[in-house]
Amino acid sequence: MGSRLVPTSPLARHLLVAVLGLVVVVVVLQGVSDFRRFQLAELAYLGIAAGGLTVLTGLNGQISLGHGALMAVGAYVTALLLPDRDAGTPLPLVVLAAVAVTLLVGAVVGAAAARLHGPYLAGATLALAVAVPGIALYFKETLGGEQGLRVVLPDPPGWVLDATYFVTGQDLTTSGYVALLAWLTLLVTYVALANLGRGRVGRRWRAVRDHEVAAELAGIDLGRARVSAFVVSAAAAGAAGAMLALTVRLAAPSSFSLTLSLTLLAAVVLGGLGSLAGALAGAALLTFLPQVVTDLGTGLGLSDIRAAELAPLVYGLVMVAVVLLAPAGLTGTVRSLLTTSKGTPR
Amino acid sequence: MLAVRGLSAGYGPVTALSDVAFTAARGRITAVLGANGAGKTTLLRTVSGLHRARSGSVELDGRSLAGVPAERMPALGLAHVPEGRGVITELTVEENLRLGGLGRGRPVAAGDLERPYGLFPALADRRAAAAGTLSGGERQMLVIGRALMAEPTLLLLDEPSLGLAPRVVVQIFELLRGLVRDEGLTVLLVEQNARSALSVADRGVVLHLGAVVADEDAAVLAGDDQLRHAYLGF
Amino acid sequence: MQQLLNTALGGLTLGMVYAAFALALVLIWRSTRVVNFAQAPMAMVTTFVALAVIEAGHSYWLGFAAALLSGLLLGAFLERVVVRPVEGKAEINAVILTLGLFIVLHALAAVVFGNRFRSFPAPFGIRGLEVGDRTIALTGFGIFTIVAVVVVMALLVALFRFTDVGLRMRAAAHSPEVARMLGVRVGRMLTLGWALASVVGSLAGLLIAGGSLVHPGFMDSVVVFGFVAAVLGGLDSPVGAVVGGLLLGLSLSFVSGYVGSQLVALAALGILMVVLTLRPGGLFAHTPARRV
Repeated sequence: MGSRLVPTSPLARHLLVAVLGLVVVVVVLQGVSDFRRFQLAELAYLGIAAGGLTVLTGLNGQISLGHGALMAVGAYVTALLLPDRDAGTPLPLVVLAAVAVTLLVGAVVGAAAARLHGPYLAGATLALAVAVPGIALYFKETLGGEQGLRVVLPDPPGWVLDATYFVTGQDLTTSGYVALLAWLTLLVTYVALANLGRGRVGRRWRAVRDHEVAAELAGIDLGRARVSAFVVSAAAAGAAGAMLALTVRLAAPSSFSLTLSLTLLAAVVLGGLGSLAGALAGAALLTFLPQVVTDLGTGLGLSDIRAAELAPLVYGLVMVAVVLLAPAGLTGTVRSLLTTSKGTPR
Repeated sequence: MLAVRGLSAGYGPVTALSDVAFTAARGRITAVLGANGAGKTTLLRTVSGLHRARSGSVELDGRSLAGVPAERMPALGLAHVPEGRGVITELTVEENLRLGGLGRGRPVAAGDLERPYGLFPALADRRAAAAGTLSGGERQMLVIGRALMAEPTLLLLDEPSLGLAPRVVVQIFELLRGLVRDEGLTVLLVEQNARSALSVADRGVVLHLGAVVADEDAAVLAGDDQLRHAYLGF
Repeated sequence: MQQLLNTALGGLTLGMVYAAFALALVLIWRSTRVVNFAQAPMAMVTTFVALAVIEAGHSYWLGFAAALLSGLLLGAFLERVVVRPVEGKAEINAVILTLGLFIVLHALAAVVFGNRFRSFPAPFGIRGLEVGDRTIALTGFGIFTIVAVVVVMALLVALFRFTDVGLRMRAAAHSPEVARMLGVRVGRMLTLGWALASVVGSLAGLLIAGGSLVHPGFMDSVVVFGFVAAVLGGLDSPVGAVVGGLLLGLSLSFVSGYVGSQLVALAALGILMVVLTLRPGGLFAHTPARRV
């Protein structure tokens, strides 16, 4: 049990961690190169999407292969609202709009998918992952087609620039600003997800995951629980998509291929289903591993293009290994993964 | 003849069978009786190789069955009709029977199928029907016929009377007696319905909480009021 | 009228390929209760094997045979070594496992064979047949595709209906414990199921590749559409797989021809959702879901 210094209410604890996290983020961001800031922004938005997905799959047991498509929705909404410098919508509102629209899409998909299980759900979300980019290609005029829509990042407000200079002694670069936004969004999202997970909603999700019939008998509306989980994870994906659009300054179909959805799932599996820290770790892997592995590959004599394929090869192998080596298969919490990997009998 | 010695088995921390020993004679029906949870089904599953014993031995006609996997049992002459009958509902009646015959390791000739059809004319009428459409009694006949297709020397039956009308139960038990008499089959019959089991069996083994509490001729057991009240519920 | 006919013919040919792929998925689902998300990359790999054989100077048919044989071996190997441990465990394990295999096979092919687009031969010609004085959208290869899939389906039906092996496989798939008690080596039947399914999948790969360009991602669209076709028909039903495949092939051909090729995936999603909303187990679902 924690000492008196650590607050006992879960919300307070989460907020404390978030504030500490923010401090760490600011410190780290100011000390690294611009390229690294870009990478850290990438890590943040992948982490947001992975967080939503781990809640959906880990806590509620629904497998979605289409979260890349939901990120696309968030990204395109952002792009549509920020087409040029004169765009009037303030940034927080843009992000909220992206989240809201994706949430609605998530509600529709979630409702349709609520009656589907396992492979049927996977199939439907798989089709979703491939269908959404196609929509962007079809409506070329409004959605930019193959090349996509450019996103213009509004200038940071004066007080942010002043505060940054005050705290870090440096000017705020674009990459720094974007990274800050992305991490802030991540912390907010994670606090929200953590609270939901720990609260009554989360318990309902888990009950539906573990034993449908018992949950129903206990008075839980299965459909509503499933849809709510889907909606929450979609909202997170929407926020992630918005951050992606701001980071890359582009919303294009090629960013949202099936590979994105699959690698999100890989990140979530590798980090441990249901664990937010694990989701972030998985996202970190997705962000930083490719460079490491590709360098290894070119070092071994492979061409650049072929070496780039080594990263997915590694994820795939680790995914297979995780499933085969976890004694009871994949379970819902990091705790049990830790226990089994240390050999303690369960 | 089936000889069981010192057989112990369990599921994790739970012991289901504790040092069980008895003999089922050839050409005789040996009933295994006891309340729910006494270990009767576990006993059959351990004998037929579906469940691993912790200790003890099982010998069929002098040959040890230790470590023999379930799928090799039919070739050794053992047929197990499980709890719930085990009808493969997706296959037809004839396909179920044919599958039973494949257990011998030889192809199944058309003539081989005449045996179960002869014993159970009702099956012959429904040979092309999906097994899932059969009534409880018909299913029981099907699975017994299917077991016989493998020409076993030992037949394990797990609660054949479950869910069947008394008249049908009588029919089946009479049939069983006939088979045993004519073919010299050894039958191990697990039943919760002790009364009807004892009326058809030669010998009775009573299990209680995984241990043998009685091993007598059926008539003796049926006459022992105290035992019947204590362990058999009548 | 001409366009209608051509669109329909194109859809029929394509539908046959989806049907074959969906059939492979259904075979594996029925025997091991696993959705093999890796089926498409497996077929892609075996097609590359065929390509290697053909580029080494041998005939198309030798390459064809090589693809089917490597499919057989790959399917058997994967079931026995990689998938066996998760059969019977919670579904999510098999999903993650086969998705992992998907990623691995994809990346491995790219590393070994490279990302270059290579052309793949098609026997019987890829020129439209002449009917009267018109050319229709049916090629010699298209006819071969239809015939090949029909023949394979007929062989499978014959195998399952009329042979002892088929009987054992069906028993092992439907009631594994009872089948064991009857002397069926269930494990071997499962491996056989995967091996056969993989051969069918390899055939689908060869049929898609014919006359087209091959690269590690060439089967990706089939992943989605083959899967949708299988789910559409009901994962338990081979007939459903065929019907689903044809239905999907025709619908998508019409969407592509009359609306736009970019919306094909959306159309597939739409069809899938409509069917699953009306019949959650697919069109030919016959087992009602057991709740308790």
